[in-house]
Amino acid sequence: MSASPGSRDQEMERQSMDADIVCVGFGPATAGFLTTLCRGLAEAGAAAESAVMPGMPPQVLCYERAEDIGFGVSGVVTRARGIRASFPDLDLSRIPMAAEVGSEKVVYLLDPVGASRRSPALRLIERLIPRGRKDHAFELPWIPSFLRKEPGLVLSLGQFCQWVGGQVMASGLAQIWPGVPVAGPLFADGRVSGVRLADQGVDRQGRPEAGHMPGMDLRAALTVVGDGPVGPVGRAIDERLGLPAGHHRREWAVGMKMVVDLPEDCPLEPGAVLHTLGYPEPEIFGFLYVYPENTASLGIFVPSWFDNPARTAYRYLQHWMLHPYLWRYLKGGRLRSWGAKSLQESGRAGEPFLVGDGYARIGEGSGSTNVLTGSGVDEAWTTGVQLAEAVLELMAEKRPFSAENLERTYVARRRASWVEAGARRAAKARDGFQRGVLSGLVGMALAGLSGGALNWPGRSRRPHERIPSLEDYCRGLIPAEDLAALRRECAAKGAALHDAVMDRLGWPEIPFDGRLLVSHQDALLLGGKVQAPAGYADHVVFKDPSVCAACGTRTCVEACSGQAITPGPEGGAPLFDREKCVHCGACLWNCSQADPDDPEASNIEFRAGAGGLHSAEN
Amino acid sequence: MSAGFHIVVCGSLVPDPLQTLEPIRGPQGPGLKNEMMLPAILDPWAGHALFEAANLAASGGKVWLLSMGPKAKLQQVMMSVAQKAPFELVVLDGPAGGFTDAHFTARALAEAIEGIAGLDRSRLLLFGGWQSASRGAGSTLQMVGERLGVLDQFQGVDEIRVQDDGAFVVKERVEGGGYLVSRCAGPPAVLGWATGNLPEPPNNPQLGMANMRLIMPALQRAEPVPAEPGGLSFASVELPKARRETRLVKDLPPAEVAADILAWIKS
Amino acid sequence: MEKVLFLAHNEEGGGLSRACLEALSAARDLAQGLGAELAVGLFGGEVSGAAEAIGGCGAACFLAAAGPVFASSRYASDAAACEALCRASGAGLVVAAADSRLSRVLPGVAQRLGGRIDTHLTGLWVKDGSPAAARWFYRQRMVAEFTRSERPWLMSVESGCFEAFDGPGAVEPEPVAVDLSEACKRTEVLGLETPSADEQTIRPDAELLFVAGAGWTKKQADGRTHVKEAEGLILDFLNRTKASLGSSKSLVDISGEGHEVISYLTHLHQVGQTGATPRHPKGLAACCHGEEPHVVGWRFIGERRAINLDAGCGWAQGKADVLYVADAFEVLARLNELLARA
Repeated sequence: MSASPGSRDQEMERQSMDADIVCVGFGPATAGFLTTLCRGLAEAGAAAESAVMPGMPPQVLCYERAEDIGFGVSGVVTRARGIRASFPDLDLSRIPMAAEVGSEKVVYLLDPVGASRRSPALRLIERLIPRGRKDHAFELPWIPSFLRKEPGLVLSLGQFCQWVGGQVMASGLAQIWPGVPVAGPLFADGRVSGVRLADQGVDRQGRPEAGHMPGMDLRAALTVVGDGPVGPVGRAIDERLGLPAGHHRREWAVGMKMVVDLPEDCPLEPGAVLHTLGYPEPEIFGFLYVYPENTASLGIFVPSWFDNPARTAYRYLQHWMLHPYLWRYLKGGRLRSWGAKSLQESGRAGEPFLVGDGYARIGEGSGSTNVLTGSGVDEAWTTGVQLAEAVLELMAEKRPFSAENLERTYVARRRASWVEAGARRAAKARDGFQRGVLSGLVGMALAGLSGGALNWPGRSRRPHERIPSLEDYCRGLIPAEDLAALRRECAAKGAALHDAVMDRLGWPEIPFDGRLLVSHQDALLLGGKVQAPAGYADHVVFKDPSVCAACGTRTCVEACSGQAITPGPEGGAPLFDREKCVHCGACLWNCSQADPDDPEASNIEFRAGAGGLHSAEN
Repeated sequence: MSAGFHIVVCGSLVPDPLQTLEPIRGPQGPGLKNEMMLPAILDPWAGHALFEAANLAASGGKVWLLSMGPKAKLQQVMMSVAQKAPFELVVLDGPAGGFTDAHFTARALAEAIEGIAGLDRSRLLLFGGWQSASRGAGSTLQMVGERLGVLDQFQGVDEIRVQDDGAFVVKERVEGGGYLVSRCAGPPAVLGWATGNLPEPPNNPQLGMANMRLIMPALQRAEPVPAEPGGLSFASVELPKARRETRLVKDLPPAEVAADILAWIKS
Repeated sequence: MEKVLFLAHNEEGGGLSRACLEALSAARDLAQGLGAELAVGLFGGEVSGAAEAIGGCGAACFLAAAGPVFASSRYASDAAACEALCRASGAGLVVAAADSRLSRVLPGVAQRLGGRIDTHLTGLWVKDGSPAAARWFYRQRMVAEFTRSERPWLMSVESGCFEAFDGPGAVEPEPVAVDLSEACKRTEVLGLETPSADEQTIRPDAELLFVAGAGWTKKQADGRTHVKEAEGLILDFLNRTKASLGSSKSLVDISGEGHEVISYLTHLHQVGQTGATPRHPKGLAACCHGEEPHVVGWRFIGERRAINLDAGCGWAQGKADVLYVADAFEVLARLNELLARA
């Protein structure tokens, strides 16, 4: 067996426990897995017996890092093909904040303030758009079928997960334990033998203190890895086994979102879906989904190929909301919830080894997201369902959870399904974005319309190979000496640079209204209700502080969704404040420096951590 | 000598403290907007009571956690609480909101305690928070105690010290940051806890598993306790409206800020 | 016709506390508004001083359950005394202060009388010929107005919400017999533990509340914490101004986490969502950040000022009268210098 990330030898005895199946992370994939598994176990009755507790039903445990089910996930629009297959008689009135997709629009947003960075080619194209529009926007007359979500659902994934989780737990056939970060996988005899939970009663550096309790070892015949793209278990397995030849995980985005009480006179109907592109920067895409009771989920995606080293999703989100096309709907609204999450955008190119002896990967961390259709939840759910069907089959056959058996049952199901077909069509759909927004959009259209046969090629680069220096990014816009002065001013205040840089680039000041437009810190408190329990180690660790000291870019500070990473003293690594972290994981891929020992990794380690968002509405 | 205590901790769920709360008027009276969607936690002071109870019972005795609340929400909250301390859950599927009359809650809790099999009332310590974070009345426990005939009651408790003869010394919060110190001859007694002295225990998965074997059946067994209107009627429930005009003083040297504050303090 | 009983206990020195005098005003106003008779019920070791302090309140009768056995604050004897006083008065409405002694005993008394109780009232008046009351719910997050039809209706009122009654007069209370069984004496009060004047940092009667936030223990611009310095500055300030100390939840929690701590801070200092909501004429907050749930800690503070480095600070914006955007370490140091000279 190996130690897991962040673990250290303990004087106090480490407890261990045996289960039949242990799941890591309760997102849509594990929700699909446990829903299907529990139904199957209920049907099997006494025929399904625990190997570790003979005479009892199989002991199925799920550990979720966040402090409740559904904390810190997202608003989604989904075709819900897999979800509907699991719930053929789905009654949406039983799920808060769910609605059928009613109308769908793709809107190109022009820049009403003149501060965004648009290529000459894009400017040329924009000239073709009819002028004089008060709302500075252009609704696409037609939405390609590969982007359409009708007939589909808009959902609060948080509420959906709570709804599913409640049923799973009420079945008595699986237990979902929130507030329990899993430190990493356990390996024994060449197989994954379970997981180790995070140590408790430790200081920020992980040293034992009052109430010390070494994280328990949970041994299980099958470990179901559904901990998402930045989850420590999936990444530790990848580190140990590598990725399949030619695969990589270099494309990311951070989705920053809000749930908003819309103003009373808002004309948007439940089920209305808006996708936007073009503003606040051409690289940033936006969404707005309308829930029942005059509530909406909205937000932006800031991708890793947006080469701005001071990319602050929060400030950009506010400028996006203030765009006249959107602000007419949002003005007078009120922030209910806020959050952020990393999305793995490599698609099928980021698929890890799906199974091995004793483990299986499901959901976004298994590369199931379709990067052409921009759909991940339904795919994640379906991979969970497929694994559960495979597990039930193997249990019935009384066969072990070996790589071979899981390959034959789970992987075979997945490969034969619509998830795989879609992933193949989407495999190269986004390659064009490596060269720019226009080539990216054209590439997506080519792939979408040709069923994946055509695409715009682009060589994938690691984030740290892409991120330019701020000086390069601002060349011709902010004189070097002015930039140096901004740096000095911000350093003296211990503040990030992005606001000063954006102000200087001509972005207008945000007119805070204390309701919807609030300071970043107030968004954490008012929207995200962010908090962290005591007794856990810092989960964001700067691997080699000397690399940080020499880093002039510090995108980690600029991009941090919770302002949890701050510049810190001169000559040292940035500071990390666990109590502000929303666990979006963006620092992991927003680091502009390579890990000295691993060019695919950065200088930031993102471990298992407790706390974060306390809202289940996102 | 805590071996003999039978400790019943009364505590229910309240909204997670950082949530935005907004009152609404429903057919049953006032409530909270999106009440079922708000993340919930075990009432903090009741939580302290539970940790103190578990600590007392560690060397013997038994702890029950008696909760009245919507069953689905309780199930959710129990997944966090179950990992903290060993207890047996008793569930009443009823209202947990702040606008429920404490008298109604007390009656339901007292009847539930009377129905707990194996509970020795002569060894009973009735624990709970000295106030809930919802109603904040600080009256339910005393009424439950009275219904059960318990005459030794303490509120705002931060410490219990059990003595060799079975008696215990209790420290209760009083005005001005002080404590009233009393010695009680022994159970039965009611203790409404303030913060206590124990830190929140770590999450213990084994404990969670052990508790869960009784929690799920208890939830499944839970009887509905319909709310009773009673004679309490609300005319209005409102968020405070007053928003102050905040004068921002920027770019003033610290000495001048200090002088300004001093003048204000003296005014 | 309704009858209102004002219920109180004497203080150590023999008189009535300010909180009880305020409750008497509430009871008198209520009785007056209803056209009801007012009665006074006093319990404690020796209540003649207390009775005389309010002899001019216009009560139709003064009842007393007094004697050494009622001198100390003990639930069982207090409950017996209050029950006897309530029964003897025949009142349908009972008003008392929400101090620690009465808050502990009144709900049990309500239960014994078959009545109902509402505690921590912040308003009490007559509406359409019936009593109406206001109190806060969800830890001071929302305020409700309500009434109830059940009698007896016991009510405790928060301090700071009514003018203290001032009207002494000669009066001889009528003793009420209390049946106190041996079972009521199983608890023995050992005494009070109060912090010494030097250690005293919670001063309910202070003019000023100083609220310290978690920012005091955070890393400052130099990348280091300065907790010892913060501790000295705050204590110095408190001693010089005799202000009362409150603290945000996060600062108290940090203190419990084994980090470098402000040594004299305990959960008793905590204000806000899971702490106290004290009443003081003025409040000064420094290094506090937070939104609605936390800010309830100074909901009942008159004039409010805050010192914070963040101009958008949710603790202050819209909630304080003045927000100084400044370094609290520097400001407090200068302030202490000025106080030393003054």
